[in-house]
Amino acid sequence: MKKINLSLILILFGMQTLFAQMQRTRAVQDGPVDELFLIGSIAGMSTVTNLEANNLNSTIMHNFGSVNGGLEDFYGLDLGASVRLGIDYGISDKLSVGIGRTSLEDNVDLRFKYTLLRQMKSDKIPVEVAVKGDVGITTQENTIFEDFTFTERMNYFASVMIARQFNEKITLQVAPMISHFNTVVDEGNGLPNHTHFAVGFAGRIKLNVRNSLTFEYLPVLGERTAGTKNHLALGYEVETGGHVFQMFFMAGRWFTEQHLLARNTDDFFAGDFRLGFNVNRIFSLGKK
Amino acid sequence: MKKILFLTLLSILSVPVVGQSYYSETGTAQFTSSVPLHNFTGTSESLVGMIKLEDMSVDFYIDLETLDTGNAKRDKDMLLTLETKKYPFGEFFGKITSEFDASSSEEQPVIVEGNFTIHGQTKEVKIEGTLTNTDEGLLVKAAWILNLDDYDIVPPKLLIIKVDEEQAIEIEALLKPVEEG
Repeated sequence: MKKINLSLILILFGMQTLFAQMQRTRAVQDGPVDELFLIGSIAGMSTVTNLEANNLNSTIMHNFGSVNGGLEDFYGLDLGASVRLGIDYGISDKLSVGIGRTSLEDNVDLRFKYTLLRQMKSDKIPVEVAVKGDVGITTQENTIFEDFTFTERMNYFASVMIARQFNEKITLQVAPMISHFNTVVDEGNGLPNHTHFAVGFAGRIKLNVRNSLTFEYLPVLGERTAGTKNHLALGYEVETGGHVFQMFFMAGRWFTEQHLLARNTDDFFAGDFRLGFNVNRIFSLGKK
Repeated sequence: MKKILFLTLLSILSVPVVGQSYYSETGTAQFTSSVPLHNFTGTSESLVGMIKLEDMSVDFYIDLETLDTGNAKRDKDMLLTLETKKYPFGEFFGKITSEFDASSSEEQPVIVEGNFTIHGQTKEVKIEGTLTNTDEGLLVKAAWILNLDDYDIVPPKLLIIKVDEEQAIEIEALLKPVEEG
């Protein structure tokens, strides 16, 4: 009887070997965590997420007047839009460069973002780190100064962005940053500061595969221009087939961080915020 | 005596038939997708496949995260659509149901039938392809149309623009003979 049982086991084993499927194994066992953020910025603050090589992102960023005007100016929509049109291009998987123009003061800015570290799925590297630099120039014809030179028109920004995706739903970023303006104007509040320091915070809560809630907060540290407020934005993002749509309420009117640090006079918590939305479209200009 | 003969027969039957098997993990899989005004192609060089001629079984799978369309955002979007974190593989397991002459080096049309699984959904499929017994191994080529709706795959759409439901799939792999251990 024992011999018969043994033979039956051998039969079953043999059949299984013959008709068994192969063990499925992942081709990529480890790698960078995908998309800590959906795109390279939230409302106006940059994120660690960088473009990959040969990808071009075209962005249209808008916001309107403050919603606290109520129905009379249709919650700010009648007050005209602030718009930044921009493109960024991935030179490599680590380095992207971009140019943009903001309708406020006709500010044209050149920027770069360089990824230093990618967070790994295995947690071998637990954070993603990128640096950003942005140089802007006000191209608007100026009536305040007789001779507003090229150098005087310049503004600058630099930050180090450190982010971590804690789980599939939550990503947080902290970013020490500095802004500098070669020229500042006393608008009645005393001499403004040329330089501001801040530690920016950003976050993303993923609701499902295509929708997320986001925020950005830029609290200025130390001395600051009188009358300026910390910028805050709360957003909602939708990803759909190569586009990322971002809708938000934001305090600041600008889409360049140096201006959000040094020029924002609206207090989100006092109801001084505006509706805005950004449209991002990524194009592939070649193989990765 | 009868008992011994019976046991011997059972033992012989229980040993897997030793025959030629072919294997590769560097095959090519490609899909072509249509959206209004243009097409795009996703390719992977990590198709894993095995064919066992003794039972005519055909077993292929691909780690879907190896597919590359050349556009990082589109790749990520595709992986989100396919829910690859939950369903990482596209796979086929079935049998060659048509005639195949392993001694011929001619390219031969074959039909394979079995289950194709993607996005956690399994459907019975019948795929036409070719097999060629070359000096280096067994060259497999196949192409078929995959209907996204059959596998509960809902592509993203922007206003009225959407990805075509039908995706053209092509695979090609040179399966090398497996040395029996």
